Amino acid sequence: MATEIMTHPYYKVNVLTGSKGARIITEPEEAARIIDKAKTPLYVFGAEVIDTPVGDKLLIDYALQIAQSRDIPICATAHVKRKMLELQVTPDSVYDIIEIVHFLKDKDWTGVRGQGQHDLVLFTGVRCDLAERGLATLKHFAPHLKTFAICRRSHPNADYAVPIIAKGGKWQEYLAALVKTLGTVTPAA
Amino acid sequence: MRKGKMKEEEIKKTIKTEDGWEPVGPTPMPSLTDLRNWDFRLLQTYEPFYAPFCDLCCLCTFGKCDLTEDRKGACGIDIATQQARWILICCLMGTAAHGAHGRHMIDYLIEKHGEDFKIDLGSQVNVEAPIIRTVLGLKPETLGDLKKAIAYVEDEMIHLVSATHMGQEGNYKDFESKAFHAGMLDHVALEAADIAQIVGFGYPTSVADTPLVDLGWSSVNQEKPTIVVVGHNALVANSIVDYLRQNGLNDQVELAGLCCTALDMTRYDKGAKVIGPLSRQRFFLKTGYADVIVTDEQCVVTDIPQMAKDAGAALVAVSDKICYGLPNCSEKDVDQVFKMVVDEEQQVLILDADKAAEIAVRAAMALAPKRRELKKILTKEEATKLAAKCRGTCEACNRACANLLPINNAVFKTAQGDFTDLGKLFLRCIGCAKCEEACVNGIPILKLMQTAADGDTYKIRTGRGPIHDVEIRKVGSPIVLGTIPGVVLFAGCSNFPQDIYDVAWLAEELARRKYIVCLSGCSAMAAAMSKDEEGRTIYEKFPPEFDAGCIVNVGSCVSNAHVVGAAIKIANIFATLPNRANFELISDYILNRVGACGVVWGPYSQKALAIGTGAVRWGIPVVLGPHGSKYRRLFMSKKELDDWTVINGRTAELVDTKEPTPEHMMVVTETKERALITIIKQCFRRNDTPPGRGIKLNSYISAYKQLIGTLPDDLQNFVRTEKDIPIVYKREVISYLKEIGWQPKPVLSLPTIIGTYDTKVPIEATIK
Ligand code: SF4
Ligand code: SF4
Ligand code: SF4
Repeated sequence: MATEIMTHPYYKVNVLTGSKGARIITEPEEAARIIDKAKTPLYVFGAEVIDTPVGDKLLIDYALQIAQSRDIPICATAHVKRKMLELQVTPDSVYDIIEIVHFLKDKDWTGVRGQGQHDLVLFTGVRCDLAERGLATLKHFAPHLKTFAICRRSHPNADYAVPIIAKGGKWQEYLAALVKTLGTVTPAA
Repeated sequence: MRKGKMKEEEIKKTIKTEDGWEPVGPTPMPSLTDLRNWDFRLLQTYEPFYAPFCDLCCLCTFGKCDLTEDRKGACGIDIATQQARWILICCLMGTAAHGAHGRHMIDYLIEKHGEDFKIDLGSQVNVEAPIIRTVLGLKPETLGDLKKAIAYVEDEMIHLVSATHMGQEGNYKDFESKAFHAGMLDHVALEAADIAQIVGFGYPTSVADTPLVDLGWSSVNQEKPTIVVVGHNALVANSIVDYLRQNGLNDQVELAGLCCTALDMTRYDKGAKVIGPLSRQRFFLKTGYADVIVTDEQCVVTDIPQMAKDAGAALVAVSDKICYGLPNCSEKDVDQVFKMVVDEEQQVLILDADKAAEIAVRAAMALAPKRRELKKILTKEEATKLAAKCRGTCEACNRACANLLPINNAVFKTAQGDFTDLGKLFLRCIGCAKCEEACVNGIPILKLMQTAADGDTYKIRTGRGPIHDVEIRKVGSPIVLGTIPGVVLFAGCSNFPQDIYDVAWLAEELARRKYIVCLSGCSAMAAAMSKDEEGRTIYEKFPPEFDAGCIVNVGSCVSNAHVVGAAIKIANIFATLPNRANFELISDYILNRVGACGVVWGPYSQKALAIGTGAVRWGIPVVLGPHGSKYRRLFMSKKELDDWTVINGRTAELVDTKEPTPEHMMVVTETKERALITIIKQCFRRNDTPPGRGIKLNSYISAYKQLIGTLPDDLQNFVRTEKDIPIVYKREVISYLKEIGWQPKPVLSLPTIIGTYDTKVPIEATIK
């Protein structure tokens, strides 16, 4: 099956005007495989994780589970740190979204834990138009890393994107399956 | 090309070198490359950050060219350089809009008053045109001198536009330097335009306590014949005021405005009403309250002719920039045009201000009695019926929304008779109408909002124009020492990411922390749209002086010049640095010593981009709301990882200050919470004295704790010695600094970057 490319995400303002769009990761298992394969991943939490409901939980609950299942360092943007502290989690770094993207552009940056530049960056909860711009920056200027937009509105400028998931229930299922599968899939060679 | 002898002679003549008010500095009327070294020095610390909005280029017939990643166009351009070229193109649009506005205003006023009409900004303002003085080296004394300033802008622009052609400039840094040039020219145009209208129309000047006027869509008395002016050039609006006054009709006709024209006409007539910013244009015009709509120029939505037709209102277009394909009636007899407008319901273009004013007033009076029924806004029952077909499931509206709003829920609930979400939507709506276009059931969503929109009337202080020299003398020292923590200007448009209330929130948070808060344009209007428990807007609550803890409405977009002007005046009046043709010296002073920050929380226009880019060249950092990421370029440092070496002006030696101040020169923040702490941080300056830095850190820590819950994560970057630590937080901060292994950093009292790059300005010039 040919790889599906994201060109028309949920929001029209984010329609791709270019030739390189994200690979759509339809199955959570495949998403887990991509994350499991990464050696120095980073997870960027955007402001919307704080108050976006996913079923009876919040987006931040799932994002934290994803991060914690693989000990992925977290960058808390905007004012997310406050909510994380309430949940008794300390972020590995605090930058605003554009700042972390600026650092990620630099292949010599040592990453949020000082262990080297990240090879995969996950994004969740960043306002979609702003996220798309940051992803465009990384697409063009950070060939040393891959990006994965864990967002049900989908993002053409990422390397990997979740498809548009209209129904809240399906989104919850996707996230739950991703959490469940992480760390259990043998990375493809 | 180097300037030849003839060009130099021409410049000397233009700026009247023989006028001995100050010796002429190194860069009179700078051309494209004269400030390039300064620009490159800024770019060395504040690297351009590009977020391509489009991966292709289709500017010439070689294309489309795919510039993805490291691909190049047929002309050889790469993606970064293409972004920088777009930035220059957009800055030029902004500069042209302000420049043409200034040219129109000045030519009109010269026709009226003559070239020799004196510039007199009142007893409190002697340094009348700090930007023109610094950039051109000209001290404008008459309207004719302001015309010279605009002519300089026009001359430079032709070269800048040329550089954007295929196969011209080929390096992103040079495009950025040219964009800086465009931005600086924009500021010259702003200043010339506002000074012209202040003196030509007698707007307030040399007074801080300007009148409070009514604002809000409900402030318009629809019982009266109503004229609504839309745009940014108040020339015709003021002619309408004149016509009403001359004919004793002031009390009979309602005159209201949208966008900056509204602000500027209230500087002329305090009885005029301000409806609101750009985001309210479509919403208001759909109410049908306007009997006559007058469009002038800039940021006027393009579908006004259709909206006017739908609302049964007359339309008079008055600008050669916006002719809408309408018949040009400028030469026609007034009675004939009146007949066309009122009897034949024709929309017209009239390029004669007085004629347009007379037609607008007479048409409004003739149409109003016939339009009573058309002025009725939707009832809740009607709205519920109109929304009935929405099941809230297709979400076509949400997907089209330029502000990513959850429209479906609001419309669905409206159909159930619950208007709460619709009211919330209105506060976040930027008025793009994309939802209506997309709705599969043709639901008039913007119109529905009439039933849920907050219908309060607010007070806004009319624009006060220039900051007074006396005020500068008073605040110059505390600003430079840091004991007034900063001067913050909220400028620009209404493309706000969240509630329209947020500008007022940000302004108030800063004012109560004793910042000097200035506002202009759409931001000044938005800031008036919320009240405290006692029913006061921030303009009623805080004093109007340019002083700590005050709120100043400078005026319309062109009035932004006065806040940049205030920063220049601090260098010139307080620190007595010569400003004549001395751009680098003054900008270096601002960058290192004047804690000023510009904020465009709702950026959308090219004008706002030009203003912001110009501010950066002056050394003033800019904070943008999230829509600003679509400008596609920011200027950012790598914080503590960068080299922060400057020169100690006292010893002329290089010193590694190790402190990233100001941290970024143009940055986007996602939320209002992050914006507040970023603005506070962008007001730090290397020159801050320990007590001054202590006050600034006090603001930073208190805001960070309030919004994020801990001490700032980068606090160590900004504490130079223990003396910088605010007493209230001393113990906590010292313990934190110990824990992370903080080391003291040098404190400089005369920091400068002059001398760290190739410049004609000697280091000694920075010391006075
Ligand atoms: S200007 Fe250059 S990149 Fe753009 S279409 Fe022409 S050749 Fe291609
Ligand atoms: S008009 Fe308002 S609600 Fe409708 S799409 Fe535009 S911003 Fe969204
Ligand atoms: S597009 Fe129209 S019908 Fe569909 S959810 Fe939005 S308002 Fe309702």
